[in-house]
Amino acid sequence: MAGFRIIFFLCSLAASTFFSIGEEPFRIYKTSTGKGFSGKVLGYEGQTFFIQGKDNKIYPISFKQLSSNDQKYLIELASNGKIPKGDLRKLTGSPQSSESSEKIEDPEAGTSSDEIIRPASKPSPKLRPGSFFAYKPVGLGQDPNAAIAEKVGAKLPGPDEPIDFTSHVLPIMEERCFSCHDAPYEKNGRTIHPKAGLRLDSYEWVMKGNLDNTVVEAGNLADSYLYEVVTLDEEDDMFMPPKGGPLSPEQIDILKRWIEEGAKPSAGGANVADMGQGVSFHNHIFPLLEERCLDCHGEPYVKNGRTIHPKAGLRLDTYEWVIKGNLDGTILEKGNPEESTLVAVITLDPDDPEIMPPKGDPLLKEEIEMFKQWIKEGAKENPTDSFEMPKKETVSLVPIHGNNKESLLDQLAKRLNPPSKPQIMAAQKSGALVTPLSVKHSMVRAEFSSGPNLIEDSAIGALSGIKNNISHLDLSRTSITDNVLSEVKKFNNLTWLNLKDTSVSDRGLKNISKMPYLSYINLVSSKVSDASVDTLASIKTLKEVYLWNSDITERGIKRLRGALPDAKILF
Amino acid sequence: MKTDLSKLDELNRREFIASAAKACLGVGLLPMAGSYIHNSANALIPGSRPATARYVIYLNMSGAMSHLDTFGTNPDAPDIQGPTKSIPTSADGVFLSENLPETAKHMHNAAIIRTMSTSQGAHEQASYLMHTSYLKRGTIAHPTFGSWVSKLSGNINTTIPMNVQIGANPAGAGFLESKHGPLPIGNPSAGLANSKAADYLDETRFGGRLALAQKMNASYLNQYDQKQVRAYSDLYKDAIKLMRSEDLKAFDITQEPEQMHELYGKSNFGQGCLLARRLIENQVRYVEVSRGGWDTHDNNFEAVANNCMDMDKALSALLLDLEMRGLLKETMVVLTSEFGRTPKINPRDGRDHWPYGFTAFLAGGGVKGGTVYGKMDKVGRNPEEGKFVDPASLNATIAHALGLPLNDVQYSPSGRPFTVAHDGTPLFDVLA
Repeated sequence: MAGFRIIFFLCSLAASTFFSIGEEPFRIYKTSTGKGFSGKVLGYEGQTFFIQGKDNKIYPISFKQLSSNDQKYLIELASNGKIPKGDLRKLTGSPQSSESSEKIEDPEAGTSSDEIIRPASKPSPKLRPGSFFAYKPVGLGQDPNAAIAEKVGAKLPGPDEPIDFTSHVLPIMEERCFSCHDAPYEKNGRTIHPKAGLRLDSYEWVMKGNLDNTVVEAGNLADSYLYEVVTLDEEDDMFMPPKGGPLSPEQIDILKRWIEEGAKPSAGGANVADMGQGVSFHNHIFPLLEERCLDCHGEPYVKNGRTIHPKAGLRLDTYEWVIKGNLDGTILEKGNPEESTLVAVITLDPDDPEIMPPKGDPLLKEEIEMFKQWIKEGAKENPTDSFEMPKKETVSLVPIHGNNKESLLDQLAKRLNPPSKPQIMAAQKSGALVTPLSVKHSMVRAEFSSGPNLIEDSAIGALSGIKNNISHLDLSRTSITDNVLSEVKKFNNLTWLNLKDTSVSDRGLKNISKMPYLSYINLVSSKVSDASVDTLASIKTLKEVYLWNSDITERGIKRLRGALPDAKILF
Repeated sequence: MKTDLSKLDELNRREFIASAAKACLGVGLLPMAGSYIHNSANALIPGSRPATARYVIYLNMSGAMSHLDTFGTNPDAPDIQGPTKSIPTSADGVFLSENLPETAKHMHNAAIIRTMSTSQGAHEQASYLMHTSYLKRGTIAHPTFGSWVSKLSGNINTTIPMNVQIGANPAGAGFLESKHGPLPIGNPSAGLANSKAADYLDETRFGGRLALAQKMNASYLNQYDQKQVRAYSDLYKDAIKLMRSEDLKAFDITQEPEQMHELYGKSNFGQGCLLARRLIENQVRYVEVSRGGWDTHDNNFEAVANNCMDMDKALSALLLDLEMRGLLKETMVVLTSEFGRTPKINPRDGRDHWPYGFTAFLAGGGVKGGTVYGKMDKVGRNPEEGKFVDPASLNATIAHALGLPLNDVQYSPSGRPFTVAHDGTPLFDVLA
């Protein structure tokens, strides 16, 4: 697995070097303690790197806090001159410092060399200069350079320019409303909820309003309570914002125009794709996945000493994982959005318990369209990739090196959560002993070691709760019958099956002809005969077959050896 | 089927009862001192990586087998080799002594370490070191490797003990709970002695007696509701459970067909190996079978050839039988002794004690088949290839294959830390 990680890392490195000269893609940065943070690097000075998070804020992060992989990645970028040098905070504080500001130009745009980053409109004077909090985060759009330019020069929209929510409206909210109407946050151990139950920190929340009513009626200024309260007389009880004076006429004008124009979500924001060039995974799909999916479907991480695996064994944190899907199969059919599970689960009825994301609002229509469009275009990592040559999957069940069986087990385990203690206890009700293959391994071994003669078919029922986790199943010496194998065949990840000294016969064995990973089967002293040769021959993954003292004949063995030339077959 | 008894160190009745009580009932003569019930959550953790072997059959060639005439022949050094010739095996380029023609057929499944060395030259101390990875000290009894296996791998079979010793004087669980110590079986043909209720004692009367005992214990149990006290009565319950269990059949080799007995040979060692295989089938984790008679100070070559006849037969039968039953994949068979014998042949045509360059034979689960690690020089004193492997490292190698946590620390009653393989490091060259 380490090998795979390195290869994947190299791939992502190669991809980033190749495709993006001026702008680094979003990626997950990890701290040495394993916490993940998603962002794109904008520049560096000394040992501090400036990383833009998904909230568009720029975070100065010390090189030493990052994991060694991230360090390598950043060194690579810096040494190749792919990221500019210079303290972004200083730059914003002193626009005259042209020495380093020149380096923050966009080499692709070519025209922006004059644009320098100016201080944010109202830097908080109370904070010490250089403090992280003193830096007023610039509201950035999907392209950092364009966004920086917007922040500097185009804060106010031109008279004919359509109002953009993210670049025009949200900064107003942020400046004047967030102190009371932001997302709930923790303070001194208490959760501080937004006042009046009203959040204004995203388009969705602004449109949703609060329990009383909506606050914005698209196209209807008179019914838009938001507009009403900011235009009331300053002495009015309901006047907003209650502190710091009224909004400036320009700001009120922006709100007015935005509502009149239909209160549309941001056109160029990360939420909805600019599909002129086709949908890009990094620019369009990933930010959305990150916002709505990665809480549950991110990289496994360690919390309180336990590894938290992604739900349903599905990771959506890189292109490869999205394409790979989980144990149940892929989640998207390239070119065919209707057949893609991903589209199916996000387009379910909002009341359906299966809808994704399970929390928060359903995805917007535009976002769903973007997913569909992306899949239709072939679910490409970059729109310029050709559909016929999808990127080679780096995630593969073919082990890269080492012992095949172990690697297979580890790879199977990676896609599953280890069974919980109650799950194991429930499984042990069957009389089985259920033990993880090793500490915290997701795969378990189930065996009937105590009084196996008392174990009958019914025992298997208790195991089905963890059926995907069982890689080793030992039913030897038990009193099971053929019927049990119709249950065993559902144990998808079984690699090792022991039916020694049981009454299992051809009829039962037929059930397991399609087991995908079975490599060891022990039928010593069972009742199987030559009729089972075809069943066994159809399990191409078999490496070891033990048939001694069964009813199988030499002729049957000869046929089986012909069908499974690489397997060790003893009888 | 009582054969060749002289070669086994039979236990006398008193010894047997003492050790059976220790193993089966968890009581030593001084239960509080001997058993230290340690509260370790790790007992249920099988290890930090998937194991490549699950069971161990440890064949102990007690008295120090002559490595030069068995698994460590050196055809390049005729001076020390004596009359023993080498024969090719099923593994390319691996040679064994002509005394082991049957085992040679299984060499593709086995590995040999030819540079074992120990710091002890006396049987008892060296055997102690081999079994515990620690030097024998007056102040503490270290657990044997089998006891560590039992302790660290969690309970596999809840009715029969996980650690069984066939033949020879059993070593104990040391400072670990006595239930981890080996269950001793003196004569493999006799099965588990004293495991049946007496004929005159029918179920009703037995039940009545148990109830009476419980009644008498009740007030004491109430007053001293402690782990040690509960463990004492739990072990009584376990013993009764075992007496009534089907698992008891695992100990009964008379249930094997006659040709099986023939295959293993009717020597005590052969029958011990047959019993070991039955126990492994019943998921006993660690079985040690001892075979004495290797202390060949006199007439070495004839004695070794004689010993090898039943050892070779039993070992090859064991490997074949395990293989046919699909058990060899998960069972590691280890054959070694406490040290080797001198390269120099003494005037009585014998070989004396020699702690350098003796051999360990490992086969089956977790072993890289057809491997030989190391080669001794022409005088048999220092390694020509490879490095010396000490007993702790051999145990670490086995423990690694079993997936046991080598760094799991267990504390003696006085608070001293001990681990399964002391300071040994696994020899990965022989592991798959």
